[in-house]
Amino acid sequence: MNRMFRRGMDLLVRSERVEALLWVRLRFDQHSDAREPLFNRYAGFARSVARRLGYPSREANFKDAEQWAYEGLLQAIDSFDPLRRVPFAAFAKPRIAGSVRDGIARNTEVDAQRSQQRRLERERLQSLKERNEADDPGDAIQLLGRIAAGLAVGLMLEGTRLIASDDEPDPAPSPYDSLAWRQTQMRLGAAIANLNASEVIVIRQHYEHGLTFAQVATLMGLTRGRISQLHRAALTKLKKQLAREY
Amino acid sequence: MMGQPRLCDDMVLQELVAEVERGATDELERADRLIAEYPEDARLHFLRGSMLVGIGRSIEALPALRKAVELAPDFAIARFQLGFFLLTSGDAAEALSVWGPLALLPEGHYLRLFVGGLTHLIRDEFGDAILVLDAGIAANDENAPLNRDMELIIDKVKMLTPSDSNSAVEPDVSATSLLLGQLSSKRTTH
Repeated sequence: MNRMFRRGMDLLVRSERVEALLWVRLRFDQHSDAREPLFNRYAGFARSVARRLGYPSREANFKDAEQWAYEGLLQAIDSFDPLRRVPFAAFAKPRIAGSVRDGIARNTEVDAQRSQQRRLERERLQSLKERNEADDPGDAIQLLGRIAAGLAVGLMLEGTRLIASDDEPDPAPSPYDSLAWRQTQMRLGAAIANLNASEVIVIRQHYEHGLTFAQVATLMGLTRGRISQLHRAALTKLKKQLAREY
Repeated sequence: MMGQPRLCDDMVLQELVAEVERGATDELERADRLIAEYPEDARLHFLRGSMLVGIGRSIEALPALRKAVELAPDFAIARFQLGFFLLTSGDAAEALSVWGPLALLPEGHYLRLFVGGLTHLIRDEFGDAILVLDAGIAANDENAPLNRDMELIIDKVKMLTPSDSNSAVEPDVSATSLLLGQLSSKRTTH
C-alpha cells in the first residue's frame, strides 16, 4: 500500500550511516544492543547465502541451513573490524558459507530439519517448565496447563512474521489461513506491542528467525538462562492478554 | 594545574582547508599528522571528521566529530554537524540531545533556526520545517555551503506528495561543505 505521507526522517536518513552508527555503538561504545539490529539487517543476506549454496534442496531441511547461516553471521558480526574498510557483506559471506558447509558435514540430511526443530521445541518446553515462585509446587495440573497454553502461543508465533522487524517486509497472511486463526494472530500481534524491548527481541529472534536461546543470548549479550526467563515471561504475558480478550 | 591546549597554527589550518577544497587526496594523512601533534585541537578533529564523512568513511567520522565536541563543547558548528550526522544515521533522540546546548545561541542565530527547522521535520511538521529552515537561510550570511544544504532539504520536503511513494530520498547534503564554509570564515567557535 502506498504511504500517504513520507515521514520527515525518511528524507534525512541514510542507510549507510545507520549501519555505521550501529558499528560504532557495538565496537567503540560497547553497546551490545547494537548487535541485534545489525543481525536483522543481514539475516536476509545470510539466508540468501545459504540458499545459493544449493543445499538443502528440500524445504524440510532448509531450517537447519538457515541456522548454520545465522551462526556464521553471528560469528562474523563479532569478529568484524569495521575500521578495515571492507564491506561487512564481503567479510561475512565466506564465514556464513563456511558455517553452512560445516553444518552440512555434521548433519545427516534425513535428521537435519527434525533435529533443529526438536532443539527449539526442547528449549521452549524447558523454559515454560521453569516455575514461578507463586506456583504451587505440587500442582502438576497447573504446570501442565501453563505449558500447554505457552506452547500454543508459541505455535501461533512461529513463522507468522507477526513480529517482523522494520527491515523486513510486512506480513502477508496465507490464503490458506482460516479467518479465526488469522484473527487470533492479529490479536497476538497487538499483544506483542505490550512486551518490553528485550522480550520482543527474544520472541522475534526465536520464533521468526528460529535462533536457539544460546544464539539469542549471544545476540543480546545475556546468558542463556536469562533468555529462557525472558521467553517464559513473554509467553505468559501473551497468554494472559489473549485470555482476557476471549 | 592544566595548561592551555596546544593548538595548530591558524595559517596551517587554513592552508589545509584550502587544499581540501581544491580536492587534494592526501590531506587526510596530513590531518592525521597534525592531530598527532595537536591532539587537543578540536578544529583538527572536526576537519578530519568532515573529510571522512565526505569520502564515505562514516564509521571513523563519527568518533572524530564526537572528539571535536568533547574537546570544545562550545564549538557550535561541530555540535551542529555531529547532531546532523546522528540525525541522518536515524538517531533523532541522540541528535536532539547533542543539539540541546545550541538553544543557548542567540535567538535568530542560523544554527538555532536550522535545528528548529530540522526538529519540525523530525515531527513531520513540514510547513513549519520549511518556514524555519528558510528563516535560518536568511539569517546565515557566513556559511553559504550550509545554506545550500538546507535548501536541498527544503526542496525535498516540497517534493513530498501523496502520490510519491518511492523509497527514501537522500538529500545530497555535503558534510564537508559545512566545515569548509565555516573554517574559511574563521568562525569556528561561538
